[in-house]
Amino acid sequence: MSLFHNLVYGFTVALSLQNLWYCFLGCLIGTLIGVLPGIGPVATIAMLLPLTFNLPPTPSLIMLAGIFYGAMYGGSTTSILVNLPGEAASVVTCLDGYQMGKQGRAGPALAIAAIGSFFAGSVGTLLIALFGPPLAELAFEFGAAEYFSMMVLGLMSAVVLASGSVVKAIAMIIVGLLGGLVGTDVNSGVARYSFNIAELSDGIGFVAVAMGMFGFGEIINSLERAHAAGTVEVSEVKGLMPTLDDLKRSFWPIVRGTAIGVGIGILPGAAAVIASFSSYTLEKKLSKTPEMFGKGAIEGVAGPESANNAAAQCSFIPMLTLGIPTGAVMALMVGAMTIQGIAPGPQVMTQKPDLFWGMIASMWIGNAMLVILNLPLVGMWVQFLKIPYRLLYPGITLFICVGAYSLNNSRFDVFVTAFFGFFGYFAARWGCEGAPLILGFVLGPLMEENLRRALLISRGDASVFFSRPISASMLAVAALLLVLIVVPQVRRKRAEVIVEEG
Amino acid sequence: MAFHNRDKREFAAGLMFIGIGAFFAIGAANYAMGSAMRMGPAYFPKLLGIILVGLGLIIMARSLFMRGEPLPPINWRPLLLVIGSVVIFGLLLEVAGLAVTSILVMLVSALGGWDFRWREQLINGIFLGALNIGVFYYGLGLPFKLWPWS
Repeated sequence: MSLFHNLVYGFTVALSLQNLWYCFLGCLIGTLIGVLPGIGPVATIAMLLPLTFNLPPTPSLIMLAGIFYGAMYGGSTTSILVNLPGEAASVVTCLDGYQMGKQGRAGPALAIAAIGSFFAGSVGTLLIALFGPPLAELAFEFGAAEYFSMMVLGLMSAVVLASGSVVKAIAMIIVGLLGGLVGTDVNSGVARYSFNIAELSDGIGFVAVAMGMFGFGEIINSLERAHAAGTVEVSEVKGLMPTLDDLKRSFWPIVRGTAIGVGIGILPGAAAVIASFSSYTLEKKLSKTPEMFGKGAIEGVAGPESANNAAAQCSFIPMLTLGIPTGAVMALMVGAMTIQGIAPGPQVMTQKPDLFWGMIASMWIGNAMLVILNLPLVGMWVQFLKIPYRLLYPGITLFICVGAYSLNNSRFDVFVTAFFGFFGYFAARWGCEGAPLILGFVLGPLMEENLRRALLISRGDASVFFSRPISASMLAVAALLLVLIVVPQVRRKRAEVIVEEG
Repeated sequence: MAFHNRDKREFAAGLMFIGIGAFFAIGAANYAMGSAMRMGPAYFPKLLGIILVGLGLIIMARSLFMRGEPLPPINWRPLLLVIGSVVIFGLLLEVAGLAVTSILVMLVSALGGWDFRWREQLINGIFLGALNIGVFYYGLGLPFKLWPWS
């Protein structure tokens, strides 16, 4: 019964006027950036983090979360109507969604995407409420060794799910870990790698790093692509109601997509992208008419859309209960908490129940709002696509600059952003991804701290990581993942998925 | 097989990791190493730096046996102008104020695109610049210097 009690409490928090407004604002901004290509949720959340400085913690996290899952919704709209995935997880929706649009069935496609996403979002919300408390309780038993092993496991699964080369992904994580260590060492007070620059001794803010790597990376890449792109043709929306047959055919894909999304969402990495691809592949395999896929099969919209939304929702579970971010967006959420003076971890649930349960309830409310924002107002969103990118991106550049400056009211962060924009361009050119780096950046100081504490307690004996059962099993799973990925067969399968992605 | 057939992407990535790893590992010499039980500030970065150099070497060595596609040319124009506009923002903001800097940043970054029209971008700059000041300066009350003389 306490679950019910907690959820009711969460809803009373989330339904306050202020929280409702910021939930709405987050969903609105999220939908907008989901619709607009060339700007993703990571850059947006990083950019808008300074907006939350003057807000209490609950509304600011509610808004930032809204941006994230709102972007998932918005991305599907443009996939269906103009064959442009607004963000990476909607790439699959293009395959059948756009075909449906061309056949004059854009309305039902949008409706099914929204229904599927809503269902998946609701299940995801319920799961967080259900599994959050026991997971957090388990985490209270964790010592330094367990935390260290858990971070190793988290980083390793981020590598497995990342696209591209495994070695390069691991190397990028280490670059991030090292970057996160720059600044004053908490134990000895020594300013590491600061070269007597006062700002560097405070460390490199990973929000500025994220803005540079993702914000400018996206702009420069879009400018390169825009050079080659032609004109966009928008499908007309006639009637939103799906037929009874549509609903019947979509039911199981939605349920299966949600299940896949939940399973993959808890794991770190590019979860939403992988989840939507897995769901599409599964539906195609299970279908009696696989030849219809790619030609406007509604199952190909229903499954992946549910999967990416469920994954987006469930990636909050490790962040909220353990304080461990599983991706770049969650890393920023951890950052937002820290800025608000809340130490992320299992204690958030007991010490800040309004934040924890209010945020969970707001996700359900936000999902409902998104259905309304996305279905009747779809015509308005499409209008935004008519804004030429050449007018849009200088504005994005400016907003990133202002966002970076207002992090600490210092020009230094602006230069950090510029530096990482430059670095990010070349890293991407050489096939190295930004997300593992951001993850490393956040976890660097945490990992060092827990490694130190674990080894201090064990008097320098490294076997402590293997003699404690929870720690040992987490390391074993991490090792298993690494072994799995070098097995040729798995490798080939993974490459297949990634090639489809491109 | 000439070098240009090898995978330059991998080779460059390996080189980058070796450079970064070596930087941190060598830089760690300035700090106390400590022992595994009482780690000094140098311990963790040195360890990671050495691992990174190792990974870089593996990536680089592997690239010599891989055939790669030639890399597309670097698009210096958007890269330098967009990033350059950010540097301009950092340099000018505290001197010229938010209003002037905003418009300048937008114009320079717009030059990085492919079809630049003065009038259109100037109007866009004034419009979004005003929006920006409205949201951040008046709306959120962030402490910016607004005009060159303020």
